[in-house]
Amino acid sequence: MVFFFIKMNKKGAILLENVVFIVLNIVFISILVLFLFRQGNGAVLLEQSYAKNIALLVDAARPVMELKLNMADAMDLAEKNGLKRDEIIKIEGNSVTVRLSDKSGYTYSFFNDVDVTAYPDIYPEKNYIIKINNYK
Amino acid sequence: MKYIPNKRGDKVISVYWFAILIIVAGAIFAMVYIFYGTPYDIRETESDLLINQIANCISYGGRINTDIISNGEGIDKTGKEFLEECHLIFNSSEWKDEQYYIKVDFYKPEDLENTLLEIDAGDNRWVTSCALQENKEEERLSKCNEKKFYSLDDVNNQYIIKILAVVRKTEKNVQL
Repeated sequence: MVFFFIKMNKKGAILLENVVFIVLNIVFISILVLFLFRQGNGAVLLEQSYAKNIALLVDAARPVMELKLNMADAMDLAEKNGLKRDEIIKIEGNSVTVRLSDKSGYTYSFFNDVDVTAYPDIYPEKNYIIKINNYK
Repeated sequence: MKYIPNKRGDKVISVYWFAILIIVAGAIFAMVYIFYGTPYDIRETESDLLINQIANCISYGGRINTDIISNGEGIDKTGKEFLEECHLIFNSSEWKDEQYYIKVDFYKPEDLENTLLEIDAGDNRWVTSCALQENKEEERLSKCNEKKFYSLDDVNNQYIIKILAVVRKTEKNVQL
């Protein structure tokens, strides 16, 4: 009888150790995946990427060109952060600023001396229009 | 005193297991932080675009702009005048100093030693980076890009045009 009790206790202990081990591994991997996902889709990274992309597009463009840029991921993030669609891109002088949250923003300048306007497209809603009006 | 050995085996959640977990997590966090913390370096593309814009301004359809070379004679221009002619702007509210430098040299094909006309604009301090990077490219220095092309003037004289474009903007393109 005593022998049987000890045997059951050992089995129980091994099972508990395995469960704890697996649970901790799952927690560990989940935290890592969440961290990687957040880093890859963070406002800071997207702001930099879009600001530089738009600056290069403007540098390569000529007057009367109209550029349509799909910004679905940026717009979703901006909406989540309580920012209006028309507040995402601001072009002042020869600098473009992309903001996807109240606290952040990224500015990059371009060398093409053109008058540029940027506004969200009506349809499809996730596009932004960058219009090169004329040389200054 | 009686010694009781631990018979639970390898699966015991030990200090070593936690140590390995922390090391692995630390390494992954560090790698991700370095990877995403490094800014995108677009200076190479920027300098390519700058050279293209200048080339389009100097020569269109294989003929040199008559405001730059006319009747075989180069028309001297200041950097500011050239930038205005080519619709370029190097000043920005983002930077205290100009972050670009350009140099355009016109050569006769028979005399590649002497320039017929030289035009430069922007901040010439950045051009020193080009000599330092002749053998090996250094990320933290300005990005230099040079291209040549061939064109004709209005009286069919031939020219080789060399364009050097230097883009600094180090703080926004390289992790310092």
